[in-house]
Amino acid sequence: MTGLAIALLILQFFQPSLNRSDELSAAHIENVYVLPENVKAILVQSCYDCHSNNTRYPWYSRIQPGAWFMAKHIQHGKAEVNFSDFGEYSVRRRRSKFRAMSGQIKNGEMPLWSYTLMHHHAVLSTEDKHILMDWFGRMEDSIK
Amino acid sequence: MKNLILSIIAFTMAFLTISCNHGSKNEQSSNNTAVLPQDQTVSQPKEVGTTGEKAVRETANGPESTVKQPVKSFSIAAIITDYLSLKNALVSDDDKAAASAGKKLFATLDNVDMTVIHADKHKKYMDIAEDAKEHAEHISENAGNIHHQREHLAVLSNDLQDLIDLFGTSQILYQDYCPMFNDGEGAVWFSENKAVKNPYYGSKMMTCGKVERTINGK
Repeated sequence: MTGLAIALLILQFFQPSLNRSDELSAAHIENVYVLPENVKAILVQSCYDCHSNNTRYPWYSRIQPGAWFMAKHIQHGKAEVNFSDFGEYSVRRRRSKFRAMSGQIKNGEMPLWSYTLMHHHAVLSTEDKHILMDWFGRMEDSIK
Repeated sequence: MKNLILSIIAFTMAFLTISCNHGSKNEQSSNNTAVLPQDQTVSQPKEVGTTGEKAVRETANGPESTVKQPVKSFSIAAIITDYLSLKNALVSDDDKAAASAGKKLFATLDNVDMTVIHADKHKKYMDIAEDAKEHAEHISENAGNIHHQREHLAVLSNDLQDLIDLFGTSQILYQDYCPMFNDGEGAVWFSENKAVKNPYYGSKMMTCGKVERTINGK
């Protein structure tokens, strides 16, 4: 048993690099569009941790091997949509993203259940879902 | 007990090395994909500039002086072929066939020789292709989730519509419309046949929809 403890202890020294930036990039969605306060609050609470260049790391996410899973979620998440780079997408892609995000929430595919298992704070209430879908839908239509 | 401890340590070290390798590989690939669009947007205008200069220089030296644009003409025939096989897979409710057709379409879009596209249309083409590639990729990754594949087909079909408007087609195509899809928002699709076969619902509502427009090949 002491072997396992030592191994886990050693593991703690191998930490993935942090996904953090202090300033809001020029292409950040909040600099590109005017977000209603309630929409912004939900994005911060449930989306930005994996879909932006700035993750708020809960203390438990720094414990290995969990930190690797977290890093992986962030890597995949940012490849799909990165709110910090949203302004760099073409209008066509933004439209696609708004539509896809709305669909993912409607189908209950986002946030990932495997993520909310550990990170309960990211779970969306029914009201949250409606607020997001409504705004995403309006954005998709407005930039046609 | 000693054996147990040793095996635990061995297991942890193995896990550690696997995870590390995996991590760095992924970082590399994500870096690549992150860099790619930038590279393309930065390098495209340059390429246009250099081929343009070449053309001018050649015309100055050569006896025939009419060639200003790339000689070969660009056709979206291969893109349409892959789109149609994807569409037909979804008509037959075949998510696996749709996934492999999506993969093929992605490769076709990815391998387009940009130098044969007229300079005026480069930017528009890139804009459409970037989006279309993303939908093709998602369709290829979603065998087992046909509903999701169909959602992407709807937007992909809009992209194809723009490609057809931009470049034309040598093939006769029918632009069909399904008013029900996406909670009544509706969706278009393209077919090689006049008879309506709905890729958004497949066998559930095979003949739902109507032909909106016939695109005459030229």
